[in-house]
Amino acid sequence: MPEIKKYSEDELVYLLKNKDQSAFAYLYDNYSGALFGIISKMIENKEQAEDVLQEAFIKIWNNFSAYDSAKGRLFTWMLNITRNLTIDTIRSKDYKKQSKIRNSENSVDNISDNTNAASFDALGVRKHLTLLKNDQKQIIDLAYFEGLTQDEISKQLAIPLGTVKTKMRTAILELRKVLQK
Amino acid sequence: MNKEDIISSGLLELYALGLASPEERTQVEGWIIQYSEIKQELDAIENSLKSYAQAHAVEPSHSVRANILYQISAGDTKNIGRHEFENGVTSAKVYRIPAFFKIAAAALILLLIGSVILNYNYYNKYQSANNELQTAQAKMDQEHTANMAMKTDINIMTDKNALPVVLKGTPQVPDALAKIFWMKNTGDVYVDPSNLPVVPAGKQYQLWAIIDGKPIDGGMISTEKGIYHIQKMKSFGHADAFAITLEQTGGSPTPKGEMFVISKI
Repeated sequence: MPEIKKYSEDELVYLLKNKDQSAFAYLYDNYSGALFGIISKMIENKEQAEDVLQEAFIKIWNNFSAYDSAKGRLFTWMLNITRNLTIDTIRSKDYKKQSKIRNSENSVDNISDNTNAASFDALGVRKHLTLLKNDQKQIIDLAYFEGLTQDEISKQLAIPLGTVKTKMRTAILELRKVLQK
Repeated sequence: MNKEDIISSGLLELYALGLASPEERTQVEGWIIQYSEIKQELDAIENSLKSYAQAHAVEPSHSVRANILYQISAGDTKNIGRHEFENGVTSAKVYRIPAFFKIAAAALILLLIGSVILNYNYYNKYQSANNELQTAQAKMDQEHTANMAMKTDINIMTDKNALPVVLKGTPQVPDALAKIFWMKNTGDVYVDPSNLPVVPAGKQYQLWAIIDGKPIDGGMISTEKGIYHIQKMKSFGHADAFAITLEQTGGSPTPKGEMFVISKI
């Protein structure tokens, strides 16, 4: 077994800016599962979802110089690239609407056991997540896993546009709370 | 807006989720540089969302990893869908052609063009030569036919059994003249119309044998294409006289037209 290296986020960013391929492999091993989970929520067909994942990682590699750690965390940046590509794919004319129409309750229940980040206690986190209220999960999922805009969320939940921010704030505060347990 | 208001507004959450408008993004990016508390708050939000995503992680196929790493190491990072890539559906592959082959291909194309031009020239020459040959052959055939006709004429004229009979012009056409070669052994009758006047359109000379005072049809004399050569007519064992009249084309059962020549035997 080769020694498994661990990088801090700063190290990882530094190495990736210098086009270090082993750092990129590490990045893939640690984040592909989480990113693929999000793509899979929006694109049901596994091959199509994997194509988007591949496209996303290639884009992350090619555009890494554009990442600015002052503006946010690495994962957030990667996530936004991935989600935008996923949305572009869904909206492209080639894409046949195959993604299932889910309501937000069962989207959270539909959890895979295939998490790959060994350092991350997915099962433990999921146990905590059960403490989240359904409407709090729902608003996070709509934004995070469905790629809806503020406007779309307000229509979906039939709440005023102005309250999307505060509802989201409350839901994520609650998420932070349960994660700390 | 003070720091507390910013933190409680929910804008940081939307920023972390990628849902902020471009103006809001600029605002937030300014604040996180300005206030470390806001940067810390954003970090906490981002970490919680990262954990949330990791809790919902789904493992992609192993081939995805290999393919991505292959592509970045090969420097080939065009947006090739993995499955397209595997199925070979993509036409994005670039084949580099060595300069030698390019030059060779160019030379071959030039040769081909030259060959086409030469072929075209030779084909034209071949065509005109072939036309000339055909003309010459047609001319030769014609002369051969004429030659054969002349030989036949001579054979008839010099036949030892041939009895030449001269048909003299009637008073109306004193210049007209025709000859008959009557074969004594077979009774065959040949006529030489070469000294008859030119036949008007729609008319034809007809030969008659006068037997027992009655004219008997001896056949039509062909003057087609203006050729008045010696030709075989109907045979007669005996006859008192021969005459030629000008009749409608195709002939007549009894002589109706003008008589041109006549001879008694």
